[in-house]
Amino acid sequence: MLFMHETHKVIGRHASAFEDLYRNEWMSAVARNEDTRLVWYLNHAMGSGPAYQVVTITAMASGSAWEELTRRMLDGDLSGLADRLESCRYEVEGKLVRPVYWSALQEVDLTSIPTDGREHDLSVYMQDTGWPDAPLDEYIELWDHEYWRYMREIPEEKKLLDIQACFQIAHGSGIRPEAILLQKIMNFSTLGNLLTSVEKHDPTTWPGTYMAKGLEVRDQWESKLLRTSSWSPLW
Amino acid sequence: MIFIHEVHKVVGKCADRFEDAYRDGWMPMLAKGSDVRLLWYFDLAHGSGLAYRAVTITAVEDGASWARLADRLASGDLQQWARHLDGLQHESIGRIMTPLQWSPSLPPLADIPTGQVEHEPTMYMEDTMWPFPGKIRDYIEAAGNIYRHSLGTEGAKVQMHIELALQTLPGAGRSPEVTLMQKLSSLPRLITLLTSDIPPEVTGPGSWMHEALELRDQWRSKLLRTAVWSPLQ
Repeated sequence: MLFMHETHKVIGRHASAFEDLYRNEWMSAVARNEDTRLVWYLNHAMGSGPAYQVVTITAMASGSAWEELTRRMLDGDLSGLADRLESCRYEVEGKLVRPVYWSALQEVDLTSIPTDGREHDLSVYMQDTGWPDAPLDEYIELWDHEYWRYMREIPEEKKLLDIQACFQIAHGSGIRPEAILLQKIMNFSTLGNLLTSVEKHDPTTWPGTYMAKGLEVRDQWESKLLRTSSWSPLW
Repeated sequence: MIFIHEVHKVVGKCADRFEDAYRDGWMPMLAKGSDVRLLWYFDLAHGSGLAYRAVTITAVEDGASWARLADRLASGDLQQWARHLDGLQHESIGRIMTPLQWSPSLPPLADIPTGQVEHEPTMYMEDTMWPFPGKIRDYIEAAGNIYRHSLGTEGAKVQMHIELALQTLPGAGRSPEVTLMQKLSSLPRLITLLTSDIPPEVTGPGSWMHEALELRDQWRSKLLRTAVWSPLQ
């Protein structure tokens, strides 16, 4: 299964029109092909980074399903809608991603994904994108051994993050080496503690920890706080 | 056919080994199948931009062929090669592209050379444009009707022709974005372009330079030189 991850730089005065198009027209139009579904619609939380940025993630059954989607957008039944979306944003940066071997999310039952815009509570995700200076496989293995396994053992009541998916870039569609963690924030007060903590994560005083071991393969990553819309199919 | 365009930020002291990995690894390994081929291996000409940048363009038959290639690199027979390459480059930035409707065609994949035949290097000017929101269709049409034909005229500022005209596919790079691969046939004209002011008749009302500003005003040119063994020159 493949996922199309897109970051939209939306024209501020068209932000509502952009979201309405996604909710009322694009989501159901994409789903006319049973191999393709919009799964997440996420707003980059204002106050934590760039303004008017939206992240969408679309699930596709295969490479052929992605190719079919591109044809529909460029010359087919989605071309008019794609043009209207394009006029509401400055640009979009896309990448095709695939779950890494240990990702909890591997397949999505596309038939179970709602397309009717039903409403629900909001969720917030922390999306971490990392760029190792070691081979990509070593970074993905480090996340498995030192992060994913540790995070799973934290008791529910103390859990800040639930790692819902981990992706790597499918060849040729973005940066290599790059990998992405999609983590649902389970406890907002713990998030507050993380953001305001003055604790120093000095690697020399944290021997054996993930923070220290992580520096052996990377020291550059970016976290984004992404809030689902009230109608995002997954949340 | 779709195209994987990659810009590689190569580790300077590993530059030779990086090129070897493509010439002796990637090109022949892809040639064992029928649906993927390396087309071009370029070096960004030193003195014209960032150092130690290589550009590769690989063609795949369709989306299914691309997905199989991605599988091979992530967890199949090409995984070790990819891991080896990770040690030779700081990063690569890839995008997947489709030819514009008016783009010249390339030979079928079966006719792309896969042996190590050497040629004289060829220079290309690669132009990448980012049309204004909602203007990409107009830009593609105007570039095909006006710009493409202007390159072949006697008075053209640069003697070159378009080998391949591409658009980034949704979900696989930045959009809106168009890239033209243009083969240079006269080095003196390029030098004149680089060292002279552009005359008013080229930038004034009615000219392509002037009228196209309604559709885009940002682009980037790269001067690329083919490796002597690059399958296409």
